[in-house]
Amino acid sequence: MRKAEIGATTALALHSLCAAGLATGYWLSHSLYSSSLITDPAPTLRILTVCEAPVVILLFSWLRRDHDRCSFIKAVARGLIGLPIGALINAFGAIVLGAPVGLKFWPATFYWSMLMSLFTFVPAACVFGASKLDWQQILSYSKPSNIVDYMLSVPAHGAIIGAWLGAWPMPLDWERPWQEWPICVAYGAIAGHLIGMLFSPVLIFLHRRHIRTKTE
Amino acid sequence: MRMRMRLKAAAAAVLCLHCLGVYLFTRGFLLTRTELSAFSLPSDLLQAQAPCCSELPSTTNQDQDLPGWTPPTVERVLILIVDALRFDFVAPSSLFQKKQKWMDRLPSLQHLASTHPSSSRIFKAIADPPTTSLQRLKALTTGGLPTFIDVGNSFAAPAIQEDNWIHQLVHTGRRVVMMGDDTWTQLFPHHFNHSYPYPSFNVKDLHTVDNGVAQHLVPWLHRQDWDVLIGHFLGVDHAGHIFGVDSQPMVQKLEQINAILQNVTDIMNSQKHLENTMLIVMGDHAQTLNGDHGGGTSEEVETCLFAWIPRSLPSSISSIFHPSTCGLGLNGKNICTSTMQQLDFAVSISALLGIPFPFGSIGRVNPELYALSPGSWDRQWLPASFYEDPSSDLKMWKNNYAHVLCINSWQVKRYIDSYSATSVMGFPSDDLHYITKLYNEAQSRWSDSKNRSCKPENGTIDEFSDFLLSFATLARSAWTEFDMKLMVVGLGIFIISIIFHLFVFERVQSLSNVYDNKTQKSSNHLQIYVAFLLVAVRAVSFLSNSYILAEGRVANFLLATTAIGSIRSSLVYGKIKKHDLVFLILIILIRFGIEKGMPKQAATNPFLNYDSGSDFDLKWLPSLFEGHDFVILLPEISPMIILFLLSFLSCKYITSTVHSRCIKWVVTVGTMLSYLFIATFWLSERSFAPKMVYVIGLSLFVLNFVLRYLGILEKGETVQRLRSLALVMVSAWSPTILILLGKQGPFVVLVCIIAGWSIISSKNKGLLDDCKMDPISVMQWSLLAICLFYQTGHWCTFDGLRYGAAFIGFDEFKVVRQAILLFVDTFGISHILPIFSLPFLVTIPNSSSSKGRDKTVIFLNLTQVYLLYGLITAITTTFTVLCVAIQRRHLMVWGLFAPKYVFDAIGLLLTDVLICVSALYYC
Repeated sequence: MRKAEIGATTALALHSLCAAGLATGYWLSHSLYSSSLITDPAPTLRILTVCEAPVVILLFSWLRRDHDRCSFIKAVARGLIGLPIGALINAFGAIVLGAPVGLKFWPATFYWSMLMSLFTFVPAACVFGASKLDWQQILSYSKPSNIVDYMLSVPAHGAIIGAWLGAWPMPLDWERPWQEWPICVAYGAIAGHLIGMLFSPVLIFLHRRHIRTKTE
Repeated sequence: MRMRMRLKAAAAAVLCLHCLGVYLFTRGFLLTRTELSAFSLPSDLLQAQAPCCSELPSTTNQDQDLPGWTPPTVERVLILIVDALRFDFVAPSSLFQKKQKWMDRLPSLQHLASTHPSSSRIFKAIADPPTTSLQRLKALTTGGLPTFIDVGNSFAAPAIQEDNWIHQLVHTGRRVVMMGDDTWTQLFPHHFNHSYPYPSFNVKDLHTVDNGVAQHLVPWLHRQDWDVLIGHFLGVDHAGHIFGVDSQPMVQKLEQINAILQNVTDIMNSQKHLENTMLIVMGDHAQTLNGDHGGGTSEEVETCLFAWIPRSLPSSISSIFHPSTCGLGLNGKNICTSTMQQLDFAVSISALLGIPFPFGSIGRVNPELYALSPGSWDRQWLPASFYEDPSSDLKMWKNNYAHVLCINSWQVKRYIDSYSATSVMGFPSDDLHYITKLYNEAQSRWSDSKNRSCKPENGTIDEFSDFLLSFATLARSAWTEFDMKLMVVGLGIFIISIIFHLFVFERVQSLSNVYDNKTQKSSNHLQIYVAFLLVAVRAVSFLSNSYILAEGRVANFLLATTAIGSIRSSLVYGKIKKHDLVFLILIILIRFGIEKGMPKQAATNPFLNYDSGSDFDLKWLPSLFEGHDFVILLPEISPMIILFLLSFLSCKYITSTVHSRCIKWVVTVGTMLSYLFIATFWLSERSFAPKMVYVIGLSLFVLNFVLRYLGILEKGETVQRLRSLALVMVSAWSPTILILLGKQGPFVVLVCIIAGWSIISSKNKGLLDDCKMDPISVMQWSLLAICLFYQTGHWCTFDGLRYGAAFIGFDEFKVVRQAILLFVDTFGISHILPIFSLPFLVTIPNSSSSKGRDKTVIFLNLTQVYLLYGLITAITTTFTVLCVAIQRRHLMVWGLFAPKYVFDAIGLLLTDVLICVSALYYC
């Protein structure tokens, strides 16, 4: 079983790879297209998604749950299918919470929900597939037995809470360009995701120590 | 039984505390001044036989063409207003601690002040808050003090309704020319002979207005067909807003103004017809170093007024000028400045121009400004023989000024009397007595001096001044100063009531834990924390004006958050249920309803920049179906279909829930009839139908209580009994509320029912006991109520009331009746229905565990639900009160915070009353 081999350091390394994907995307959009999230959100989010998607899908497919029955290719395929499904769920959630639905927002909403899907849904889809029990477990924290669970759940929750908090400045009358949908929400999501990725190795470390003391 | 008493007693106690708190805070906060519509007329002085004008008839007989109260003392007045002019822009820098970059940039005025010390003067003019242009212009022209009522009105419809000197000028046939800021043409739409308005709202545009004024000013100075010319420069204000005072654009702007002023004074010196013209350069308010204004700090209120007349005046004028602060000007000569109140400007300019003083003006003719006019040194009232020494200029002037002050005092006294007679909230009677005493003393001294045919002495002038200044102080304290003591006491009572509420809630909570100790004891603690976290988020959001404007969307956001949270827990404990998804879709629908109301709100609210095109553009939707008949028919037919559905639903639920046969029949027939009448009204617009609906609703409501106390509804199990009671109550109210809401009514009520059903079915995830109170559901219930308030097209300002609803079923206007209808429309869907239907939260789930439950437990739960609902409303309202108190000097306090406070306070009291009624009815 590979999951036993993963420690806090490995988790940190994997997370930094994800973060590096994001950073590359940001750098690319800045230097190649000289676009930033504030000036033209949709293209920048597209570049971020394109850069982040392979990193996330490949990494988490490698971490897939049942190595015996599920090949690497199959896990990648699960991730690719999960991407639009997750995007749909995220977009729906955003609209429920009050995201604008006007035609001119569609591209930005589309790429934002793709990115959110990469943060939240796709990793779990790669790892679990359609296993209902695993999904329930990861949502409820009832049995935080697995290290991969932490890697999936903490950054995902971070992204969602970050996006939720990121929506708060939107109604303010500061008339800053970044108050437009989905710029500050995207910033919040990225920030929350990064914090979650920093936080999960710490939790993993604590968890392992806890287990070790228990076994001793 | 003790339990039932507890809810009633607690609800009554909380209601009393809230009443007291609201009363005290309102007394301290809502400054009210009634606008009087009376206008001063030239003939007033003679008709009223004012004590000052015993010798006037001779003068008025000679000068029939002079329609004023006092003879004009200048020929023309040229008023140049520099928006946001700070005192230190004009006064010499030697008066200040340190010379700054923006000082001494108007040397043309300083030069005049130093070379013509007897015909020019720099005043430090103290404005009264709020220091925004519109309010200041209003105060400058009417001579009053803007407060809640008039400021509240002026945000919506700016034209001035009160008496003012522009009106008096026009009325007496003077020609007024205006150029610059277009606020003037909004305030005075039909008064100017010529006007050159320029848009004032584009803050980033520094030059359009100023260049426009400069372009028209010089040609007009050469013309003779004007009496008063007003030029209003905006560049300084805009430069301050964008770049701040300490900036290069500000210096450039001041230099440009200086060049214009230099040009104007040169022309005035050279043109013969401008010899008797007074030039006034003034600011309407000042600004802070950041360019902000609106509040009452000394930086914002200390503006400047400069007056100059080309004609030379007697040198004895210097004894009239107050001992003042002087400093060295740029050319090394001494420049002296005085202080005046902006309040005095309106009456002073009326005295200068010889027009009747504005009716509501409470200022005093400023002696120094009055002395600057040549006419005030001429003989005006008294025959030459009266004085042995006619050459004594100073005595002559004092006599004239005493006359003017006498008329001034008489006019202010007349205003006080008519204000006390007509306004809702007059002045404190002790103060009025004191003021009247001062006036009577001054008048008797004046007539004494007349009778003894000696000269009016200095004492008379002092006594009149004393009276006028005392009244101005009184008016300021009544109209512009919040009573902080009362506000703090009111707020304290709110906080005490919350502590009391929490204490009672905690007691009931611990009692209920004792009763069901078998299940998880601490299970709903987490939910209580979550609910209070949501309340806290909502409460803190009232600190910002933006969140108050977006309150509906904030409530919707929080409601959606709880719904998503509940989906998450559904996933954890099993699978997603139907009602969870339905609830999400409903939230989207409610949100569209809220957003649909926003452009309407934005149309009347200048603070709400709502871009309707970007956020809610479903305009493409109708174009898809263009040409189909059903698109036209859909808005007509759908309310009918939903109405039919509603009547079917209510019929079904009433027959299945209410057990007592006769009541079942009465309520079903009543409800059916009501729906039938609503349908008839929509189809035929007959006005008897709504009346019938109101009558049925009222009689059902009364019948409920009668039956309840006769004990007819007592049969059956507790849960069932409660449920049928609540159902009957809601059926009594809903048709009335529905018809008042108009065609959107059926849809809204349907949304309300489905959302309520979703909340009830999604509560208490994973807990065994279905009937235990779930704080999150109560919170959702309250958030839903707020969303429905905004969804039905209401918002928290007075123009957000749906006045049309008051006339459904009635054509003629009767205050009480229409007010009741308007009240039911405003608070029906957001307060009355949700609170009366709260028992459903405890009684609906008909699972096996609720069967045969202890009566006490159910009432305990009901008490908890009502207490928690009241607590949530009380906490949010207390925060509104706190935020209003904190923001009392905010620019939007009258436009936004005060209406929000009024709506929330009424909502809170209504909630308390309804909880009391529910406690009586259900327990």
